[in-house]
This record gives sequence, structure tokens and C-alpha cells, in this order.
Amino acid sequence: MSTHADATKLRLTSVTKSFLAPRTGNTTVAVAEMSLEIQAGEFICIVGPSGCGKSTVLNMIAGLDSPSSGRIEKDGQAITGPGADRGVMFQDYALMPWQSVEGNVGFGLRHGTPGQHLSASQRQERIAHHIDLVGLRGSEHKYPHQLSGGMRQRVALARLLANGPDILLLDEPLGALDAQTRLILQAELLRIWGETAPVSERKTAIFITHDIEEAVLLADRVVVMSTNPGRVREVVTVDLPRPRAGTARTNPKFGLFVAHIWSLIRDEAYRAIGGAASAGPASQQATH
Amino acid sequence: MMKHTGNESRTFSIVRNLTLPVLLIVLWHLWALALPTGSPAPTPIKVVQTLGEMLGKGDLVSATVQSLGRVLTGFSVASMLGIVLGLMMGSSQAVRENLDPIIESFRPIAPMAILPIAILLLGTGTPTALAIVAYASFFPVVVNTVHGVSRVDRKLVLAARTMGVSRFAILTRVVLPGALPSILLGTRLAMGVAWTAIIAAELAVGAKSGGGGSGGIGQMMFVFYAYNIDLNAIVVCMTVVGLVALCIDHIFKMLEKRLTPWRQEI
Repeated sequence: MSTHADATKLRLTSVTKSFLAPRTGNTTVAVAEMSLEIQAGEFICIVGPSGCGKSTVLNMIAGLDSPSSGRIEKDGQAITGPGADRGVMFQDYALMPWQSVEGNVGFGLRHGTPGQHLSASQRQERIAHHIDLVGLRGSEHKYPHQLSGGMRQRVALARLLANGPDILLLDEPLGALDAQTRLILQAELLRIWGETAPVSERKTAIFITHDIEEAVLLADRVVVMSTNPGRVREVVTVDLPRPRAGTARTNPKFGLFVAHIWSLIRDEAYRAIGGAASAGPASQQATH
Repeated sequence: MMKHTGNESRTFSIVRNLTLPVLLIVLWHLWALALPTGSPAPTPIKVVQTLGEMLGKGDLVSATVQSLGRVLTGFSVASMLGIVLGLMMGSSQAVRENLDPIIESFRPIAPMAILPIAILLLGTGTPTALAIVAYASFFPVVVNTVHGVSRVDRKLVLAARTMGVSRFAILTRVVLPGALPSILLGTRLAMGVAWTAIIAAELAVGAKSGGGGSGGIGQMMFVFYAYNIDLNAIVVCMTVVGLVALCIDHIFKMLEKRLTPWRQEI
């Protein structure tokens, strides 16, 4: 019992978040009664139609937003605000346009808490190490506007990791990339997360995406959310063997997971674009 | 802005920029040829002669330096105040709501309109000139700083918070650089109006003190207007004022490029 409690990295207990629209005075429930336990070293993907409160959940774990009711605990402690122990990678990367690659990767180390106990040379070393890790050596002095989308994404990833968080919160980080770059970076993300390392050395990752295949490829468990209000529809355990990077897509079970998750969100996805759910072409496959 | 690649296009651009000024000077000279002898009207040749004499005596240079020194002092004080207040107003709604009405009600009052009270309180010397310059340059800086802060990407502030960056460091490391392009625009505009204001202030202070020792190029113009009347010398002063303004603007544009290198290729 106690060992189980030790491994629980994050615990969400009946978390509800509602917003008050300032003009109309209406209350919108973005997330309703969400409960979830996440183990240390787990890779969690959250999928769901837009408006299901995925980003709100992430923001609350990051401490940028607080639940209207319910509790979020990390290592048994309630989360009260943002902290460098939970690193966030934002959808549009949130790089400082006035900082070079080097300055962006080192931003948290130089100006935030992660670098407080490091000497200048230790910081420098750590920055260089993470620039290498994401393959950006030689571009240290470029500014974000001089980089491609994929390179910016790498800078944001290097910055996230250089700060040494034990929880990685990734909000659709690959959303804006072209298909090939996306495949490459998915593999790289798995490598950096520690796919080939023992579970105890992996970081805990929570990854938001609307790409079901991406979720199945990356996650240990996929949290499928439904909208209006945002609720957990089902938590799907993806027991495909790791490392997955090269091979998982050819595994027949891969397609079954994708089809199953799609069946869970299909109706709402169709409704969101104004189509008829019953006409969904995937309705046959989803019965597996 | 067009980028010039070869020497040819650069030469072409110089020619293009100088065509109209040269044409106007030629017209002015033709007009001067038609003047009766002994006319006090300024002509290109006499203006150049007067310029030579004034440079020889050295008082044109020292008056210009005097005025520039006042502008730089008043401008620096006002800019610092404007940037600090602007950052505070931009990042705190309470500060903004308190200061905004005060600033907005003073802003339409022209720098010259505070001259009477400045002279009565501070006399006719440098303190009044500084007060006018500082007053004139404060508003563009503060308004553009507030605007710049309001346009800083909120995501960047959130990102900094998730990296454990303190509130103060967020102000100096995120908000300030994020607002810098707008702040620099504000200071460039401020420097322009400061230079305009100092000439007017010196002219007016000259009127009060009757050509006393407050110096400056504006005062110099006043002397040539009220005492030893010399239209050519006034034109020389006006030209110097214009050229200095042009140089200042150019320096500020270079400074903008230097201080915001990430914006160069946008």
C-alpha cells in the first residue's frame, strides 16, 4: 500500500473548473469531476474534441490556474502555484523572440529557480548539453524568427528539459508541424523521455494532442475526454511493447487502439464540425 | 524600405534624395538674383558666407552644444520616469487607473503652454529649459511604454512563471524586452519633440530676459531677430536646427536596430 502511494506522482481528485463569462454572467463548466492518478515515469496522453478542457487540466497542474473545486496533489502536496518542478511546453512554444536559441534554452536556468544552485559554468554546460540533445548545435546564436517550426519546437523542448522538471506538461507541442517533422520529433520525444531507460529513470509526462495515432504511439495510458462539460470518458491502457518509435505502427494492436479511441470521440467530433455522427465511416471497425 | 545592393543603386538613391533640395536651392538663388541690391532678404550665397563667419567665431557650435546638452538632460530624466511609470502602469491595473486620467489631462497641454508658470517658478535660465524639455518628452515615452507592455505576449509571462522566474525578473526580463520596440519608438518621438521644444523655449526665454546669458541656439535666433537683425544668420540657425533633428532621428533609428536585433529581418 505504501509503495503504491510512493509511486503516485500526481493525483487529481474530483477536479472541477468553471469559468464565469464576464459579459453574459453565464457559468461554463470546462472540467467536471475529474479524478485521475498518474504514476511516476508514466506517459499520459489526453485526447478529446476541442473544448473538452484538455488545456485547462494542464494549466491547473502547472499551477497557472486553480480548480474551482477538488484537489490536485503532486507527491502528496497540494499544488498552489506554478513551479519549475512542472515544466510546460506551450502550443506555440512561447519562446522569447529577443533571446537567441542559447538564451531561450538557458532562460529558466539564468532567471528562474532551476539554476539557483548552479555556478555560471555549470549552467553553461547544462545549456550546451541540452542544445546538443535536441540537435541544435551550430544554431545557438540564431533568433526564433530565423528558425523553422521544427527547430523552434526543439528549442522549447531543450528549454523544458534544461530546467530539470520531474513532470513534463506538453500542450499539443507537435500540432503545428508538418507530417514528416512530426514523426521525427515523436521518436525523439520518446528517446528523451526515457523510453529505453528503466521506468524509475523516466520523467512523468502529460501530453495533450488531438491526433489519436500520436497518442497511441506515445502513451502508457490515453485519457479520452468528452466535451460539455469536460469529463473523462475512458482511460485506455496502451500495452504496446516499448521501445515503440520505429515499430509500433505496424503492430496490429496499434490500429485497434486507434479505432477504439476514435469510436469514443467520433460522435462529438462529428457534431463539432456539424456532420452526422451516424454516417461515420469508422463505425464498423470500432466494434472490435 | 528598399535594400540597396550594388554601388549603382546607392548612387541612384543619393541622386534621388538630393534632387528636390538642390532644385529648391537653385530656385531660391534665381529668386535672389532678381532682388534689388541692398535687400536684407536671405540668399543662398549670403547664408553660406554667414555660416562660415559664425563657425569661425565658434558661437554657433557652442550654442548648438548648449541646446543639445539641455535636450539630452531633460530627455534622459523624462525617459527614465516615463519608462518606469509606463512599466508600472502597464503591469498594474490599479496604477494605470490612477495615473491614466492625470496623464491624459496634461497630455493635450502643449509644452509652450507651461512656459509662463515655468518662468515664474524657475526663472529664465537652464532650469526652465530643462523643465520644458522634460515635460515635452515625457508623454510620448510613457504612452508608448504602456502600449508596448500591453502588447507583450501573455504566454511569455506564463512561460516565465512556470520556470520559477520572480515577479521582478519577469518585469525586467520579459515585459521590458517585450515592450522595448515600442519604448524605443516612444523615445525617438520624444527626442523629436524635445528638440522642437527647446528651440521654442529658448526663443521665448530670450524674449523675457532680453538676450541675457541663457544661451542656446534658440536664443541665438532671438538675438538675430530682436537686436542685431540678420535674416541670413536666422536661416543658418534654422538649417542647423533641422540638420541636428535629422541626425538625432538617424542615431535613434540606428540605436533601435542595435538594441532590437531580433526585429531586423521581420
